[in-house]
Amino acid sequence: MTDLVWYIPFPLVPLLLYLLVKRGAYGTFPCFFGYVVFGVVAVVARFFTRSHAPLYFWTYWTTDAGYALFGALAMYEILRKILRGMTGVWWTRLIFLAVIAVGVGLSLWRMHEVPPQVQGRLLLFIVTGEIAVRFVQVLVFVATVGFIAFFGFRWRQYPLGIAAGFGLHSTITLLATTKLSDIGTRFTFLWGVISLVAYSVAVLIWIGFFSVPQKEQPPLDPKVAKHYIALLERYLNVLRRTR
Amino acid sequence: MYLSIATWLIVASGALAFIYILRRAYARARDPKPDPNDAVHYLYPVDWALLESLLDPAADFALRWSLDRRALRAEHRRRMRLYRELVRRMAHNSSVLADFDDALFADSHLTRGPDSKLRQAIIKVRFYCAGVRLKLGVWLLLPDAFGLVPTPDLASLRKAVEVDGPKAYDELRVAAVEAFARLRPNELEALTRGL
Repeated sequence: MTDLVWYIPFPLVPLLLYLLVKRGAYGTFPCFFGYVVFGVVAVVARFFTRSHAPLYFWTYWTTDAGYALFGALAMYEILRKILRGMTGVWWTRLIFLAVIAVGVGLSLWRMHEVPPQVQGRLLLFIVTGEIAVRFVQVLVFVATVGFIAFFGFRWRQYPLGIAAGFGLHSTITLLATTKLSDIGTRFTFLWGVISLVAYSVAVLIWIGFFSVPQKEQPPLDPKVAKHYIALLERYLNVLRRTR
Repeated sequence: MYLSIATWLIVASGALAFIYILRRAYARARDPKPDPNDAVHYLYPVDWALLESLLDPAADFALRWSLDRRALRAEHRRRMRLYRELVRRMAHNSSVLADFDDALFADSHLTRGPDSKLRQAIIKVRFYCAGVRLKLGVWLLLPDAFGLVPTPDLASLRKAVEVDGPKAYDELRVAAVEAFARLRPNELEALTRGL
């Protein structure tokens, strides 16, 4: 049964990739699309190297670093998409930087308090970076939900779907990481299974969101728009004159 | 210990955010969707002339010129409360437009993404309103302090959190008219008046 868990992402990730191509996500969410393409490559690479221990070890950690990098870029993309209209407002650019700073700070603090049990400097950086990205993903997810609640937006939006997938995966992974440091190596195996199940659930969330086509509403007929904007201008002028 | 608390707080906020999404999805599926044609009845008109007069720097100057300190302060507080009410209406109207914009697309796969004109106008107005309400809340809480704290000018509230409020609300009106063009003509007229 537990062996089966390792094979769950195999059909799911290509299905997600198919849906993303179908919905044209490579144009609207290029970083997330890159993350999924990388996910397919990583799953295949891990599968083919699984019987060769040293090669699998390096493939696993290299792809993990790639996941973290693409994951962080995807979160930046979501925030940029939501706050696109505020590009003239300088402090909105600081939101992601602040989130990154908090994530990196917490991860470094964690590295200092509970040093990861890995050999070599490179692996230490990868693990620390990965935990930082997990913090960033949860924080961006919480911020996205906060924005959607504050602005009263429709919940079924692609950016929220992407953030929800990452948010759930990262929340569970962070929880598992905390438990790992509390319980110790006895938890290592369960941590791997939990992480994989959480990732599979995240992929299912993305599949759920991207299974529904969402296109921008076609632009309004310029003649109709012009008429109503002129009408609005007339009202505004009347109001201004009544001052 | 502090690290554990910080980690648990972040994990808990992630879990709560997820529960919130599930709850909202459930509520959306259960509750009847609002009829876009009813949007106009939920709007509170924003008196544009009053808004402009409150934000007029000349009006502030004239008040300072003609009133004594006590009367000036009372007048400023009255104007602040008035402006707070207008901003409350602006925030309310932007929420109503967001809800009814959703309702327009409830039965179709078409959607306005978060980067649509109306959505971005709503984001700007909501940010502006939140910033102004916070500022006004603080200003109205400030004690007189025997005249040591100068009474702030309302004209400085034209811009808050780097957003020009009246301009953003104007953009929201135009975007709403474009977005709700499918309404019946008399309702669209009522919408333009109601905003």
